Amino acid sequence: MPNDAHAARIEIRFPGTHAGFAQGFLEARQALDAHGLAGGPRYNAELVFEEITANIVCHGSPDGHALEVWFTLEDCGDAIVLTFEDNGVPFDPRTRPDPPRQKSLEEARIGGYGLMLVRHAATSIDYLRTAAGRNRTTVRLPHP
Amino acid sequence: MQLQLADAGDGVLNVLLVGRLDTPGVDRIETSLTAQLVPRAARAMIDLSQVTFIGSGGIRMFITIARSLVRKGGKLVLYGAQPLVAQVFETTSLNDIVPVRADASAAAQAVRG
Repeated sequence: MPNDAHAARIEIRFPGTHAGFAQGFLEARQALDAHGLAGGPRYNAELVFEEITANIVCHGSPDGHALEVWFTLEDCGDAIVLTFEDNGVPFDPRTRPDPPRQKSLEEARIGGYGLMLVRHAATSIDYLRTAAGRNRTTVRLPHP
Repeated sequence: MQLQLADAGDGVLNVLLVGRLDTPGVDRIETSLTAQLVPRAARAMIDLSQVTFIGSGGIRMFITIARSLVRKGGKLVLYGAQPLVAQVFETTSLNDIVPVRADASAAAQAVRG
């Protein structure tokens, strides 16, 4: 993002469905294009969006209630901060361990790599269950 | 997300993927790619040079297809990944269990080996 855009803030709200995810991801990428975040930091911002949002959509509503996702991205000058809020079941992403290093194709786990990728990209991950009953996950990425 | 198949000779298939292997992209091609490769126990090399993004859904897809192929006597080799995509392979250690090569020549050698 440009140096004069440290206060840059992106806000997107979308339904927690596969179609809503695709539309939200498209809007997020268009907003990132407009702000000029590029290269590795851009890739990591998209990776975090992909993995956190996919978890919400796939696991957030086992009872079938309508999910909503509120996403913000802020350039704080010393970090890129991505915040996700959703009205799904409580889920603290910090509690899930990384899958073990893969020893063979036959024994490899099929899933569990999303949060591993988020942890690898992030400098910190915070979680809060808000008073309004939402998950709030905040991921800080190194500033480019 | 698009895929194109071509005969690379000696019964090897070359698969060109173009686009993003994010969740929507994987949703778009996974069934078709699996159907093209697994039933025939293909020896396949997948060209990733035009894949600009991969997330965990793409990793899961490659593990699933590679495992199915190996069980049936086939083989999957990935090649040409852009640096940021290759970094995801390293983070998830995909390249420890699925052959990942720099270019088509190395991939052709690995898939026939």
